[in-house]
Amino acid sequence: MRSRTDRRKVVEALNGYLFISPWLIIFIIFSLISLGYAVYLSFTEYNLLRPPRWWGLEGYQRVLEDELFLAKALPNTFKYVLIVVPIQTFLSLVLAFAMDQNLRFQRFFRTIFYLPSVTSSVVISLIFIWIFAPQGIFNQITGLTVNWLDDPRTAFYVIMGMNIFTTSGTLMLIFLAGLQDIPLAVYEAAEIDGANGIQKFFYITIPMLRPVIFFVVTVGVIGCFQVFDQIYVMTAGGPLDSTTTITYLIYKWAFRDTRIQMGQASALAVILTLIILAVTLLQRKVIEGSGSGAER
Amino acid sequence: MAVTTQTQTRVYEQTVFFDRLRKYLFFAMLAFWAVLSVAPLYFTLVFSFKPVADIYTPPIWAPIPFTLENYQTILGTFQLFPRWVWNSVFISVIITIFRVLFCAMAGYAFARIEFPLKNFWFNLLLISMMMPGVVTLIPSFLIIGPGLIRGGIDLGMFKLPTGFGLIDNPWGVILPGMADAFGVFMMTQFYKSFPKELEEAAMMDGSGRWGTFFRIVLPISQTQLITLALLTFQGAWNNFMWPLLVLRSPEQFTLPIGLQWFRGEYYTLYSVILAGSIFNTLPILIIFFVFQQYFVRSIAATGSKEG
Amino acid sequence: MNRLIKLLLVLTVLALGLSACGQTTTQQTQPTPQTVRETVTVRETVVVPAEKVTVRLSGWASSPAETALLESLLYKFSVENPDILVKYEPITGDYKQVLLTSIASGTEPDIFYVDIFWWLELAANDALLPLDDLMATSGVSRDDFIPALIDAFTYKGKTYGIPKDFNTLGMFYNKALFDKAGLAYPTDDWTWDDLRAAAEKLTDLSDPNRPVYGFCTPPDPGRFPVFVFQNGGMVMKDDYSDTMLDNEAAVKAAEFYTSFRTAQIGALPSDLGEGWQGTLFGKGQCAMVYEGGWLIPYLRDQFPNTQYGVVMPPAGPGGEGNLIFTVAWGISANTKNPDAAWKVVNFLTSEASQKTVLESGFALPSRKSLQNSDYLKNNPNSAAIFNGSFFGAHPFFWGTVGSDVNDQMAKALERIFKENQPVPDAMKQAADSIRKALR
Repeated sequence: MRSRTDRRKVVEALNGYLFISPWLIIFIIFSLISLGYAVYLSFTEYNLLRPPRWWGLEGYQRVLEDELFLAKALPNTFKYVLIVVPIQTFLSLVLAFAMDQNLRFQRFFRTIFYLPSVTSSVVISLIFIWIFAPQGIFNQITGLTVNWLDDPRTAFYVIMGMNIFTTSGTLMLIFLAGLQDIPLAVYEAAEIDGANGIQKFFYITIPMLRPVIFFVVTVGVIGCFQVFDQIYVMTAGGPLDSTTTITYLIYKWAFRDTRIQMGQASALAVILTLIILAVTLLQRKVIEGSGSGAER
Repeated sequence: MAVTTQTQTRVYEQTVFFDRLRKYLFFAMLAFWAVLSVAPLYFTLVFSFKPVADIYTPPIWAPIPFTLENYQTILGTFQLFPRWVWNSVFISVIITIFRVLFCAMAGYAFARIEFPLKNFWFNLLLISMMMPGVVTLIPSFLIIGPGLIRGGIDLGMFKLPTGFGLIDNPWGVILPGMADAFGVFMMTQFYKSFPKELEEAAMMDGSGRWGTFFRIVLPISQTQLITLALLTFQGAWNNFMWPLLVLRSPEQFTLPIGLQWFRGEYYTLYSVILAGSIFNTLPILIIFFVFQQYFVRSIAATGSKEG
Repeated sequence: MNRLIKLLLVLTVLALGLSACGQTTTQQTQPTPQTVRETVTVRETVVVPAEKVTVRLSGWASSPAETALLESLLYKFSVENPDILVKYEPITGDYKQVLLTSIASGTEPDIFYVDIFWWLELAANDALLPLDDLMATSGVSRDDFIPALIDAFTYKGKTYGIPKDFNTLGMFYNKALFDKAGLAYPTDDWTWDDLRAAAEKLTDLSDPNRPVYGFCTPPDPGRFPVFVFQNGGMVMKDDYSDTMLDNEAAVKAAEFYTSFRTAQIGALPSDLGEGWQGTLFGKGQCAMVYEGGWLIPYLRDQFPNTQYGVVMPPAGPGGEGNLIFTVAWGISANTKNPDAAWKVVNFLTSEASQKTVLESGFALPSRKSLQNSDYLKNNPNSAAIFNGSFFGAHPFFWGTVGSDVNDQMAKALERIFKENQPVPDAMKQAADSIRKALR
């Protein structure tokens, strides 16, 4: 009956909003308003000490003409994303799959693999500075004498490696949680049909994990585009700007430079947001097709 | 007949051999990664027990010479150390409880319920994660503190405050942390990949959305909720920049902020920092190890609990 | 749910247990000055009057021992001024970011550290309170302070900060290595030629596992300018409107500075596996380094067995030269209690307070009157650093694009060292980039 369906729809809609209301209220107050303010600032000249002064697209123009942005921050950031996201996604997926196999000492192994992610990025950056110091542990063990963080050719790769290392635990955890929902019965049926480990992985696990993979890749892309903490602690954008990323440049203009340029920094932040949005939409088409999650 | 069986046996043996080889290779890779994973923390532990002067000297595998001076420095220098631990615990636990609940609710709604503007809010959620935090610090700080508009919005009779006035207050850290785009996104994706049958059965039996959620969906998604709780707790525990801005008096500091006090203006005594890192990391490790046992296959997936 | 509660209990017990450990152990590793301890243990009963004014004071977090010293001074102040409550709010992370965010949101403290390097933005944008009137009411004159320091915090004729302490660069030399090479210890009369000759004799590369270099030349914009000054040049013009890094004086200074490494009598800290030359000096792998007074407590803590002395940096063809690093106490322009805030600042920079700080070895006083104090007489190393401020010293300040100037100097040196770029080209490139930033 039409009235019953309509009533049900209204109840559904009401329920929907009630469910999301706690999150929505906090989101609007703390996220949306801040976002809007940041967008507003991108059209102003603002040195934090006097009120912002509107200057339209001047900030954007300056960003797009800035040498540091064009020659270093932009290519560095893209390089970072293109290398780190595939590696960290694949690595954590393999680890999670391995941890799902009911091996001996499973709990012990899971804790070990989670260890890299446990410490805060600031603390692990300090630890890695100490490990990769020219006479630090890494060189002592491998017998090399490379000055990892001081050499423009190697510094960025150290940061990449460190990030892959530290996110592997968190992403493994997320994948593991997703794997728990794949019924064992499906695996068993495949085994009866003669599928081996690799085949099970590619034909069962990956398709059934599509929503979670989409999540991990999206979050990975967003996180990598915004990589900041490690660079802030370890290299401050150097040596010779080899580790300067877009987010570090934003920080540099907003707080580090003697001449404070918050407006320009906000413009760059908006540009970064648009870049990430574009990449995410692209990536969504690739992974998901037209939907936004495999429904069963 | 006998020849074929011999060939078959040889082929079978070869397959078994390769299978075993694959298994051993697999174990070797896992063992290698395990060693790599432990290494940084292991060395941190070793050198935190070495005197300050020996920060780089071998042996690197064992703390020789051994000393407790770094830990004594951290515990003894500031009388506020236990207060900092308590602040961190309080803030992290409250944030975790609220965030898990709110994100699960919102995630479930996005995954299962149809309501107007659903896609709009979800896309806004995704976009909110894309703006770097550096530029949203100031407006967020204004909102949690003195207000976007100084003095409030003048409505004649009274002034409407545009800020919460929670600076130097742990709730100033907790409030924005109670919901989080990342958490909602994750729960949405998790719930999307859940089989619908159990819920549909419950709804058919007359239980409404709320009943279904609290009595069926939440228990089923135990593993995913634990995951979110662990990640949330860890994030809240290690959070540095926001508490640094909001908390001003040393009594209100959280542990990471207090530990940074040992970083000198001109030089850093690394041994002390390493000892501090152990303090900061230990609670999370313990919690993780304990809560791991809840990582089980959900009832929906197997029909019975398995660990 | 039960397990969650159990876990919370375990955590709480752990925390309390750790705190119990902490309270029974006294601080043993940091040699805290005796004077500090004595002041704090004297507790007097103070009658608190009804009207109490609260003043918030902030700064970056230095070492725990220095924090204790500051707190003891604040305690002394509260005893003498029971009507003023000073709330100490240290910032243990990114100081500039937190301070700027606070000012932008109107929540900044009443009193805060102002660093010479970036203070101008604050003064030019009216974030700081001019102090001249307040100084007059307390009978404090600009002449009480070392001219180079008080001038550094003057803008358009007004004083915006009272320098609390300062540092210059001294030449630290390793006595053991000098003895081994049979060289006489350096004196304040040394010149560039003496420096070079000594570096040659002190370098010992016979042990490949432990090379010893005569001089350390890091690509550091906080060291290199000294050589520019000593060659009669400047980094920036007097009004900071243009750079002079591509002038001949600066280029020649860069050539001299980088020649040590080329001739293998000098090294970068990274060449020897360290991030900072201070560590190398303590280890005895660099016989001479230019460092500030902060090296003294570091060596005392980390390398107590190294025997060393300090003199002023050797003069160049253009005379003496040095850099001044200094921090001042500034008062916010929006403070609600300027008089109370001034009382605090005045107390902290009074002769008595500065004497206490000086004698604890942490920093050098900014008052002229302490120039002939006993402490400096008994500590020639600190005296050398102190005296550096009177001989060709310029503040570590390059105007509105200071950070760009620093970055470009560092990059130019790095290019010379690591990419073998010819010195004049490197300096020209740096100067051009600075000019672009000035536009």
